[in-house]
Amino acid sequence: MDKILAKKDYPQWLAKLSSYRIYAPRKKDDVWNYEIITAADGDRLEDVMTAVPAKGIVFPQREFFFEFAETNDNGTRISELLPEDNPVVVFGVRPCEGKAVTLTDLVFGGEFEDPYYWKRRNATTLVGLGCAQPPSPNCFCLSVGGSPHSKEGLDLLLTDLGEAYFAEALTKKGEKLILAGQNLFTEPKPGDRTKVEKIQAESRKKIRRELSRIDNVPAKLKGMFDSSLWDDESMSCIRCGICTYLCPTCHCFDMNDEVETASPLSGKRVRTWDTCQFPDFTMHSSGHNPRPDKASRLRQRINHKFQYFVEIWQKYQCTGCGRCISLCPVGIDIIKVVEKVRDHGA
Amino acid sequence: MVNIEDLKEEARRVLKGGKVKYIIGYERAPDSWKANPVFLRTPEDVDKLVWDPTCFHNLVRFLVDEKRRKAREKPVDPRPVGIVAKGCDSRAIVVLLQEKFFERMDVFVLGVSCESSGVVDERKLAKKTAGKNVRKVAFGENQNFVVTTDDGTMEIAASEILADRCLDCIANVPVVSDHLLGDKAKRTVARPFQAVEKMESLSRDERSAFWKDQFKKCIRCYACRSACPMCYCEECVVDTINFAVTADTSAEEKAQRIKWLEKSPVDSENVFYHLVRAIHLAGRCIDCGECERACPVNIPLRMLNKKLEKEAKELFGYDVGFDADQPALISCFRDGDPEDFIR
Repeated sequence: MDKILAKKDYPQWLAKLSSYRIYAPRKKDDVWNYEIITAADGDRLEDVMTAVPAKGIVFPQREFFFEFAETNDNGTRISELLPEDNPVVVFGVRPCEGKAVTLTDLVFGGEFEDPYYWKRRNATTLVGLGCAQPPSPNCFCLSVGGSPHSKEGLDLLLTDLGEAYFAEALTKKGEKLILAGQNLFTEPKPGDRTKVEKIQAESRKKIRRELSRIDNVPAKLKGMFDSSLWDDESMSCIRCGICTYLCPTCHCFDMNDEVETASPLSGKRVRTWDTCQFPDFTMHSSGHNPRPDKASRLRQRINHKFQYFVEIWQKYQCTGCGRCISLCPVGIDIIKVVEKVRDHGA
Repeated sequence: MVNIEDLKEEARRVLKGGKVKYIIGYERAPDSWKANPVFLRTPEDVDKLVWDPTCFHNLVRFLVDEKRRKAREKPVDPRPVGIVAKGCDSRAIVVLLQEKFFERMDVFVLGVSCESSGVVDERKLAKKTAGKNVRKVAFGENQNFVVTTDDGTMEIAASEILADRCLDCIANVPVVSDHLLGDKAKRTVARPFQAVEKMESLSRDERSAFWKDQFKKCIRCYACRSACPMCYCEECVVDTINFAVTADTSAEEKAQRIKWLEKSPVDSENVFYHLVRAIHLAGRCIDCGECERACPVNIPLRMLNKKLEKEAKELFGYDVGFDADQPALISCFRDGDPEDFIR
């Protein structure tokens, strides 16, 4: 379903979506993030790269699995805490983030479906905004199988035509959104499609960064486990969690019991994001840590994205959003690291 | 103005003579307008050295790594590590000397004066250049920065895009160095605690609301801790399971281990984390501002540390990181201590 929405009608469209919780990029203290908005806040759709990716909406940094409580008869009561499935819509999702969600779908789906993830995921409609300009100087989606107008993972893709958006519904969920604001949308005129294609072709040329000829990287990484390259490339790493927490495809988590009362015992089992960059991530209860230093942790980050994930799913676990490059306090650049792997020993 | 060739010449000289193990300095990041930390091992590596307003990082952070590396080194290379240090960074060296984290002979300091300038604030620059792609930032004449974008070159008054920490700086000239470059004229700041004073003028409820709002943003990536040269604890309180767990620790002992804070980024835990960090930096923070720069969600962390710096100054007349022979604030006691319970 292809439609046209005048930009001035965007706030009215939001007003028609009152049954949804609406997220869109908002700026606070000079940082863009997806925030819950009301139709009144939604004066315009912002063309930006947020700090925290949209993954946080389907895979929140903290969520509950169940609550537990000691009962009077010395028993234990456990009640599952599934997330609500109220409908959610996220506006302004970058195509690289939509693609990233298809990767977390693989991880949380398949043989062992994660009900917590899917409850949110199924209730969420992702409205992408194609990138007319790369929203970050470190965008490199084209190099890892994406594009500034990729439709993967999105339910609806908006392309900015200047005064209006070209809206392509890509799924039933996307169509539902257009139907909710039906009378605001008009049929595309002949030539609009060509305009969209032109904008998309132009935007591909504006991407600055490139990670080329990486077909050999997964195989190469296999033989580089003990390479000194990891020591060299991680010398300036300060061991924070920015590169992974803010990666739209990183999905590692921890589970803990958060005790609320000690007697009688009660509390919740909680899932939080975790990262391979923290020292306790692989800490064994024996006291042994198989990844004791930053070199082994950088290796894990690269190996997971460019070897292990490729072996399991035949896809890179990187969609080229460039957040890990832009936000790294010491400028560790995943493009440069992977290029060094590619050229290693050549 | 600092002549980069002088810096390079000295770096080459000490590397050539084998006087230092390696030098920690700044290089141009590939495909970026910013500088990156670099580790120079040979005289040829020195060609990479740069000095410009994007040399934000407090490289003293890497001396903490070096100490750990040295502990595992066999045989131990006793030579010092060379380090390019701005004024603020040099104060971090002083604090680490006071705390006996390392000895003076373990470091060879290539001090660089920020003169009347400093480093740029990335967010201020982005606003000033209005989304243009920045290619280069250089020190210019008349306290200007020369900013090159895709659209050409522009001059911006340093005061408009300098990092706040540089506007409040009380040590533009390194306080400890083996080789000092640049103008040695010291800068004075009329009101180094201006932002703190403004915060202090608010009511308790207003301050509480402000910080609650700020800490809500925290994603607990710990970049603030990780960028800090003073956060050198072997085991950090936030890395929950490292505490005293060895091959001999029994299951029962592990179960009874105290968990100081949860991983959940909720108000109580976020506040706990940031206040623990702030308190641990009292009388130690030298205001390099790296915590605040590293923060991906822009929490004004400097203000917490600045408040404690002010307390140390007002209560004890203590200036952090100027005199390596002076005992550290929290490890000394004077008869004139305003608290009488301690006598």
